[in-house]
Amino acid sequence: MLVRRLRFPKTLSTCSIQASDIHTQHYDVIVVGGGHAGTEAVAAASRVGAKTLLITQKIQTIGALSCNPSLGGVGKGHLVKEIDALDGVMGRAGDWAGVHFSILNRSKGPAVWGPRTQLDRQRYKDFIQSELLSTPRVTILEGSVQDLLFTTADPEKPGRHKVYGIRLAHGGGEIHSRSVVLTTGTFLSGALFIGQNTSPGGRMADPPSCAGLSHTLKEVLGLKVGRLRTGTPPRIIKDTIDFSLTLIRLPDPSPTPFSFMNTHTHCKPEEQLPCYLTYTTPGVERVVKESSHHNSHIQQDTKGPRYCPSIESKVLRFPGRQHQVWLEPEGLTSDLMYPQGLSMTMPPEKQLCLIREIPGLQRAKICTPGYGVQYDFVCPTQLFPWLQVKSTQGLFLAGQINGTTGYEEAAAQGLWAGVNAGRTSLSKPPVSLSRTQSYIGVLIDDLIGRGVTEPYRMFTSRAEFRTALRPDNADLRLTLRGFEELGCVSEQRYNEALRVQVSLNDALSALKSIHLSASRWKDKLGDVNISETKSSILNGVEVLQYKDVSLQMLASAFPELAGLYLEFSERLKVEAIYRPHCEKQRKEIERMQAEESLYLPEDIDYLTLPVSLSQEVREILDSVRPSTLGAAARLSGITPAAIVHLFNYVHRNKHRNHS
Amino acid sequence: MHFIRGWRRSAAAITAIRSLSVKRFLCSIGSEDDTIFAVSSGQGRCGVAVVRVSGPASAHAVRSLTRGFPAARVASLRSITHPQTRELLDRGLVLWFPGPGSFTGEDSAEFHIHGGPAVISGVLQALGSLPGLRPAEAGEFTRRAFGAGKLDLTEVEGLGDLIHAETEAQRRQALRQMAGDLGRIYQDWRVRLKRCLAHVEAFIDFSEDELIEDGILNDVDTAVRQLQTDMENHLSDQRRGERLRSGVQVVIAGSTNAGKSSLLNMLTQRPAAIVSATAGTTRDVVEVPLDIGGYPVLLSDTAGLRDTTDSVEQEGVRRARQRVEQADLSLVVVDLTQVPSEPQLVPVFLSEHLKNILEHSSHRQQCILILNKSDLSSAEHNRSIQASLERSDDVPAACFLSCHTRDGLEDLLTLLQNRLKTLCGDPLIGSPSLTQTRHRTLLQKSVEALHQYHQYRDVDLVLAAEGLRLGLSSLGRITGRVGPEEILDTIFKEFCIGK
Repeated sequence: MLVRRLRFPKTLSTCSIQASDIHTQHYDVIVVGGGHAGTEAVAAASRVGAKTLLITQKIQTIGALSCNPSLGGVGKGHLVKEIDALDGVMGRAGDWAGVHFSILNRSKGPAVWGPRTQLDRQRYKDFIQSELLSTPRVTILEGSVQDLLFTTADPEKPGRHKVYGIRLAHGGGEIHSRSVVLTTGTFLSGALFIGQNTSPGGRMADPPSCAGLSHTLKEVLGLKVGRLRTGTPPRIIKDTIDFSLTLIRLPDPSPTPFSFMNTHTHCKPEEQLPCYLTYTTPGVERVVKESSHHNSHIQQDTKGPRYCPSIESKVLRFPGRQHQVWLEPEGLTSDLMYPQGLSMTMPPEKQLCLIREIPGLQRAKICTPGYGVQYDFVCPTQLFPWLQVKSTQGLFLAGQINGTTGYEEAAAQGLWAGVNAGRTSLSKPPVSLSRTQSYIGVLIDDLIGRGVTEPYRMFTSRAEFRTALRPDNADLRLTLRGFEELGCVSEQRYNEALRVQVSLNDALSALKSIHLSASRWKDKLGDVNISETKSSILNGVEVLQYKDVSLQMLASAFPELAGLYLEFSERLKVEAIYRPHCEKQRKEIERMQAEESLYLPEDIDYLTLPVSLSQEVREILDSVRPSTLGAAARLSGITPAAIVHLFNYVHRNKHRNHS
Repeated sequence: MHFIRGWRRSAAAITAIRSLSVKRFLCSIGSEDDTIFAVSSGQGRCGVAVVRVSGPASAHAVRSLTRGFPAARVASLRSITHPQTRELLDRGLVLWFPGPGSFTGEDSAEFHIHGGPAVISGVLQALGSLPGLRPAEAGEFTRRAFGAGKLDLTEVEGLGDLIHAETEAQRRQALRQMAGDLGRIYQDWRVRLKRCLAHVEAFIDFSEDELIEDGILNDVDTAVRQLQTDMENHLSDQRRGERLRSGVQVVIAGSTNAGKSSLLNMLTQRPAAIVSATAGTTRDVVEVPLDIGGYPVLLSDTAGLRDTTDSVEQEGVRRARQRVEQADLSLVVVDLTQVPSEPQLVPVFLSEHLKNILEHSSHRQQCILILNKSDLSSAEHNRSIQASLERSDDVPAACFLSCHTRDGLEDLLTLLQNRLKTLCGDPLIGSPSLTQTRHRTLLQKSVEALHQYHQYRDVDLVLAAEGLRLGLSSLGRITGRVGPEEILDTIFKEFCIGK
């Protein structure tokens, strides 16, 4: 059994490197930013073999959870499983730092089970920092990046610019690299809002990134940049909460780890902490209305999300309703609680008035007030599916800079940008993920294909092939390819995924080889609800699809066949339920993959292309510049005729180029 | 022999694989394994219509509809029969084009048949009843031909309009232009189904964190069931396609000696029924097939309805009543000279008279009142009746007629033709038989998918939701696609989602 031992984290005190040592060095990849996107990018780039430098403003905030102390959930948990399947850090960090594990949506079908945990903030940070420290080929530098360095673009490749490194602020000099990954989060022209006060910053007590970077992206590279906002709730002192007035929510008695490589979590089941549920009252609504003229964040029209809104916008958009407030632990030893659902930007004294209208919080005290952040993002339609800026060779973007929200969304992009930045620096071709194969593929395809109008969060409803993209099979979907083609997965993990794949296939074949009539099955399995109206013969997989049939039951009836596979009983049950449906969707999946594999040349001039296209279609194609014919077909305003013409043009040119 | 055939096929399969990605891409709707069919001669009425079939099951289609498999690329005259009912649909030319030397590169066939809507609709429905065959999407033949490398760019340009017809915007526009009621119905289903899916998706994605009650799924159950009922009723109720094939049942009914048989003879332009001044001349039902303005009609004359002791006439009256029951449209003939001249009595008299002849109110809605013998009634009398009819809402559409002088025949034919148009759908707008067969297939698919929702509702909500997704995408082929963004918009409008 392959179980990765959970290492005890070391401290990072020794990893800071003097800038003077670095001047002389050349890196394959430089990652700017040490949040969830940055840390996954660093780890992924080094896994594919690139010599990687992480530059962060503060080493001690590497892996910090700036907002909620939790990981996963429905959709987000799917992303964590996929990040883990590609050997990323996040899943294992969650298993180490989790203090309250639960699988959401237990009653709704395994395709949408949402693994989730509350985190101990300090443990999470410690794990990430120690992981990076022990990763080969990684160097970490504390500093600010003032600007990017450009050189002449390679005429053989698309793009007008080429990046070759960064210049540090405060006279720190230049560091050269083949690729640069920007993961600036909320720090790009970041501004903090509380009440009517505004101050520059990316997070409370941390300054924004250098103005030079923002200027370069906009003015030098000519990238289209927009502005988004988000917010965080006040942190409440635990001792001042009367939990007797709230509802307790206990974790799963037996915690399920995120990582395919872990069989158990670091936190023991009995050491887990509970969460508490309370509700807003009409008093909350009154305070919001009274304070709205002191609240400049709310009054501005910068795009905030519809699904993670501040309590102010919830009350203003859905007045007269009760809203849930979850009180979540910040860690095993923390004396703070995080009130999920109470993100707010009103003046601190009003924040206190507001929380005291909530049952359980009547005497609560605030440790740090909530605040809003506004920041620049780069419109992600300007990226390739491998997250490289189309106009700039070697420059990759990941995380909130691409208009997403959430740790998991950021980490997923960071991993993918890291893999590709690493590969590019090693002169390997870039790679992309299909939306038919993974939620990461859905995420990136949505971003680059449609752009964003509000911070993008993952939902399972975004995935067309939801029954195929499950948390349980992320390893089969990604780990094999991750090792064989991408080079970002360790051999150990690969071997484990292979073993699982072979076992599952063997088990399904063995089950399929058992053929009995419905009544014989009933005799064998006892009192199960198999309809006998079907005169046909059922095989073992078909019987396993029935609600009350488990692999254990089949194993006791056919110990020589099914008994070998009890280790995979849950996964086999899930496979049996969804396989027929996935088979039905296979053709549609293949069609979408074919569309995705037809790349449109990057240098194509749509405005003068000698094929029959309407001016309107030309302008749409010119402004969005879709990467594939599939992406072009999904654009609104593009006619099927235009797609046929484009296809014909691309197809003929490809032949010409080959000959 | 079998072995050799199998080997040939696999060689063809290898060739096919080479252009697979191309084909798959181009075949953006349905799969390339399907066999498709459509009328490929122009729209509107024409002498000869060409129904084209393409795909692996083409040979099976030819075998199922005709006897004696035709030689390749040679026109053969054949009887075309419905594969299940064995009913003779038409006699026409059948052509067989084995792939790859065909327009689409696949096995294909053409049926050259008579151009009447009834014949076309009959052949399309016969093809649709075969497994593996489905109506072609707009432009699909062209796309297949293009994928097989059979067309160069200029040819595609010429056929561009066909492909154009398929864009979302145009589909929605087509929906708006669809005969008023139908467009509204489809639009209403789309909105309802979208809302059902949005609620289930909201429950899947947000119910663990947000206030989304379990009760919401019960509401969805009810709403989906109601939708199914509505769609199934629509599918079974709307006999329009069938009417086109077998003719609209029009019955002439009325009291004895009102002039029913005279009307039949006038419409058929021959003495099909015996006419005499003796009341009760017509004893049995006289049936005549007719073409009125391009619509197939089965016109029946019936015995005059009256109480009688004559056992033969009693049977005639019973048959007349039965025929009235089954009719799509009734022509109720009234002797004008029997109508009272006092204006206030006219509507009451006619209503009572109608009730006597058409016992069910539903039949009274599908009827035309024919006030016959206008030549025997004074012009003044006629005017006063007309004036009182115009003031009354209870009396159905009426027209004055004289079977003797043929006065009023034009008006009657116009009125009749308009009714037939509604009953059959207007086959001259667009390419209706194709559109309607296509709609029917998609609606059936949608209804089946909604069954999947209930089937999995308590077992696995994801598979249940998959049923709704499938149902909506089938419906979307008619009404315009509903993407995930539109579902999310619906969710965020109705629920306060927020951590």
